[in-house]
Amino acid sequence: MSKPILEVNELTTNYVTRFGDKIFAVDHVSVKVDDGKSVGIAGESGCGKSTLALSLMGYYFPPLYYASGDIIIDGQNISGMDPDVVRKTILGNEISYIPQAAMNALNPTQKVIHFIEDVIQAHYPHTPKKEIYELARERFELLGLPAEVLQKYSVELSGGMKQRTVIATSVILSPKVLIADEPSSALDVTSQKMVIKMILDLMEKGIIKSLIFITHELPLLYNVTDDIMIMYAGQIVERGSADEMVFDPIHPYTKALMGSIIVPEEGLRDVKLTAIPGTPPNLKNPPSGCRFADRCKFVMPECRVRSVELRDIGGGRSYRCIIPEEDLRKAYKSEKR
Amino acid sequence: MKGYRNYFLKQLVWFLVTVVVAFTLNFILPRLMPGDPVAAIVARMAQGMSNATGVQAVYEQYTELFGTDKPITEQYVIYIRNVLRGDFGYSISQYPRTVADVIQSSIWWTVALQFPAIIVGWILGNSLGALAAYLRKGFDKVLMPISIFLSNIPAFGMAIILLVIFAVNLRWFPTSGGYQFDMVPSTSFEFVWSVIVHYQLPFWSIVLITIGGQAIGMRSMAIYELNADYVKYARFLGIKDSKIIRYVFRNAMLPQITGLALSIGTMIGGALVAEIIFSYPGLGSTMLTAVLGGDYPLISAATLIVTLMVLVAFFALEIVYGLIDPRIKAAQSE
Amino acid sequence: MKLMLKQVFGSGKFVIGFVIFLAILLTVVIYPIFVPDAPLKIISRGTFLSPGIYVNLYDSIDSATRYTLITDDAEARRVAGRLSDEDRAKMREWLIGNGVDEAEIDGADTAQLLDLWELNFDPTVRLPGMTNADRNYYIRLTASLEGLLSTEGATIASTNPETGALEQSDIVNQTDYVHVNEVANSRLFILGTDNFGRDVLTELISATGVSLTIGFVAGIVATSIGLVLGLVSGYVGGMVDQVIVFIMNLFTVIPTFVLLILISFSIGQESRGAFTIAVVIGLTSWVWTSRAVRAQVISLRNRDHVNLSKLSGHSIAYILAMDILPYIASYVVMALILQISSGILAEAGLSILGLGPRTTEVPTLGLMLNWAMIYQAHILNKWWAYLPIILVIALISFSMNLMNTGLDQVFNPALRD
Repeated sequence: MSKPILEVNELTTNYVTRFGDKIFAVDHVSVKVDDGKSVGIAGESGCGKSTLALSLMGYYFPPLYYASGDIIIDGQNISGMDPDVVRKTILGNEISYIPQAAMNALNPTQKVIHFIEDVIQAHYPHTPKKEIYELARERFELLGLPAEVLQKYSVELSGGMKQRTVIATSVILSPKVLIADEPSSALDVTSQKMVIKMILDLMEKGIIKSLIFITHELPLLYNVTDDIMIMYAGQIVERGSADEMVFDPIHPYTKALMGSIIVPEEGLRDVKLTAIPGTPPNLKNPPSGCRFADRCKFVMPECRVRSVELRDIGGGRSYRCIIPEEDLRKAYKSEKR
Repeated sequence: MKGYRNYFLKQLVWFLVTVVVAFTLNFILPRLMPGDPVAAIVARMAQGMSNATGVQAVYEQYTELFGTDKPITEQYVIYIRNVLRGDFGYSISQYPRTVADVIQSSIWWTVALQFPAIIVGWILGNSLGALAAYLRKGFDKVLMPISIFLSNIPAFGMAIILLVIFAVNLRWFPTSGGYQFDMVPSTSFEFVWSVIVHYQLPFWSIVLITIGGQAIGMRSMAIYELNADYVKYARFLGIKDSKIIRYVFRNAMLPQITGLALSIGTMIGGALVAEIIFSYPGLGSTMLTAVLGGDYPLISAATLIVTLMVLVAFFALEIVYGLIDPRIKAAQSE
Repeated sequence: MKLMLKQVFGSGKFVIGFVIFLAILLTVVIYPIFVPDAPLKIISRGTFLSPGIYVNLYDSIDSATRYTLITDDAEARRVAGRLSDEDRAKMREWLIGNGVDEAEIDGADTAQLLDLWELNFDPTVRLPGMTNADRNYYIRLTASLEGLLSTEGATIASTNPETGALEQSDIVNQTDYVHVNEVANSRLFILGTDNFGRDVLTELISATGVSLTIGFVAGIVATSIGLVLGLVSGYVGGMVDQVIVFIMNLFTVIPTFVLLILISFSIGQESRGAFTIAVVIGLTSWVWTSRAVRAQVISLRNRDHVNLSKLSGHSIAYILAMDILPYIASYVVMALILQISSGILAEAGLSILGLGPRTTEVPTLGLMLNWAMIYQAHILNKWWAYLPIILVIALISFSMNLMNTGLDQVFNPALRD
């Protein structure tokens, strides 16, 4: 029986705009990741997935604010903790982060090793430099990075190397949870593969215990993570194992998302490329009913008034729609013909 | 290290090119104007100077020094040779002193006044700008309008205001000069003290002028850096704000060095005018006497010297910048 | 267009800057309608008359009605007006120096002080260390003190044209007043007069107009050169670009102010009109505009609409004017604003050095400041002769910078904070 490493319950966070309006970009999101498991989160740009990545860290700074919910890492609830304590003991140490734009994630005027020193000393102030260097060198070599990188400035590194350096730095303290926010989307295909392989390595070599991988490329998740969650307008609309999500989507949005991507995976080749018409709702005034209603093919009058909860259908699967799953599957089948 | 050497060589070549261009402009501009100024000086000298032997001496010297009867290319060669020797002839307005002598006695006042003042102003301005960017809210709201207003007062205006407040009304400092007028330069305590007292107002007026612009520049640069991705990333790895602030300010400060290099010419120009307000015995006041006395050799030499000073300062800053910003080295070794 | 204007005028900074600038501009335009005097007309003998109302003494005596006002402090004020604290101290000093017992003198009791003075003062006696100037001062002071405490009026006499004898025609009492408006001649100098005895306000407003024109001409010249060079080097690229960039770099490094001094000096005083100075300033200050324009053009030149235009065979001039210029228009306007304000500053700096425009009809802000400095208005504490000029220069520059920042924030949303 595996125990959850990261458990997030009904987490809600909001932005405050210049005019004082609150925008709930993460709306009652729950995530559970077991030891040794990984979860992928996918959605269109602007659906709140990057905000979710920031929110999961349990540390907030303007314009993002915490509203409600719990984040429990290995049994320890960090959402009630003093932010300074979270920063000193949790961030980088228990839970770590790979940013979206690794290109600019490293301070351009600092050598990599000095940044690593700062990271380690932020948590363990009296670690000797020599020890830090040894640890960094070992970790870099374990992950297939040459030790010379440590003595370089980020500007001297190529794009792919920079991203891999960022990853190695993020896990220097072997955090239990790693949150990767589109770590590969800015790279060329070769570098992308290396980065993905490196992240999978982290799990295999036991450096991290669980992974949350955020991307807008749904098929990528199929290869990387065990489970997949789909996010739409600040909410989770469907969750399930990677296989189920790709080959047997239930929610119309997941279905449409699958259709909007050409993927050279077997079994997916015959899927037609269909862009999803319309735009996501404005989160400043979210609609009272289903948030996908305006773009949904199967929309019914009821959808616009009744709010829908995430419906658990067993086997770790859940989805947010008022139409029964069988009816949806039937509809998809008839559509295909 | 190879990257830096490339950068250094590039800067050196560029420096030499600009020096040559500066020489050429200094030579050619007056000669492009309708009527040869050198001939005009010689003509004007008879009325300008009362000393008859002086007129004759200057006249002969100039005919030889400028070679006005020779073709322009030869004149240029003569000019370069004279400049390299430091031979600029006699000053017309301060005859029988030579131009080199006049310049030599004023240049150190200018160097000792302006460079420390600009550097202090730069440091103070950057610190205040950084503080405004970091603290925002209250401090920012007070400091920014003041900086914007300060940066809009011209250098001479600031000099006059300080002079009126602190020298004329409060009488804390003397109104003019580089030292008490009845003293003879020496190393005695009284003289040094007099120099220090006379130094204050010109110094602080240049500092204040410099602060405004630098603070504004630093503030926007630091705000830009504070929003950079590496700040967010460092936060999420648990690094303390105090440390991150150090990254940010170092990175924001670096472009400000180039900014200083680019604006040093304008700054020195403004500071020269400020010198005039205080009758400070530097190059600014020398230029004023030269202009008033129609002293062509002196103004030509003074402008050349100021240009060279600016060029040297510019390249010194660029070279320091190349040393401390790793991005330069990386860009060069690609 | 309408939306853009709305956005621009929605920026608080721009509006404040614009209002200040408009106020300056309107003053420059409207003031001469009401005060048509030539700005450099010498109106007073004597220099640096302080600001205030000047009432004609002759006309005051002749004024239609005389009013009697009973005021308690009139006498005290009268004495204070003639006998300052400084005078009292000087008198004390003289008296003590000439053997009057210090304890006997009460500086505050005017009557006693005057008595002592009348009793003891002898213009021929010289104190040790007393200069001629001091002696003359005491003599002048004594003359002005006569009749200070008398309560009688002043007699006005005129010559009888027939007999040639002096006849008393009127007596002016100490309690007599006239209404300022009933005096035929009075003159208001809001900012006093300058070293030549000219009305500073009229001069200042005229100078502001001239300086703005100089700034404007310099700005137009600099912006035109900068725009053309920037457009050509950015769009054409290659060899042309390299040459232009080389020139730009040169002009960035070589201090333009020094260049300006050299050129202005070489031109010679005779041909240095306001317009010439403006053009010279423009010729030396285009480099920042050309840099900014070039950078913008480079980012634009591979846009689809430009490529489309190229493919349809339009000429370079057409493409630059129709496909690129509209996109950088806002930058050009901002650059122009900055050039205008720096042009005004450059003129002021040159003029202080004695290299300003040579004019006999109109002043410039720099020339006014130059005159004030030469005549040491700042040392003599004649604030009205220099402070308003500095303030006007700072205000113009401030308003233009505000407009510029406002525009910048409208057109570059990234800068909004």
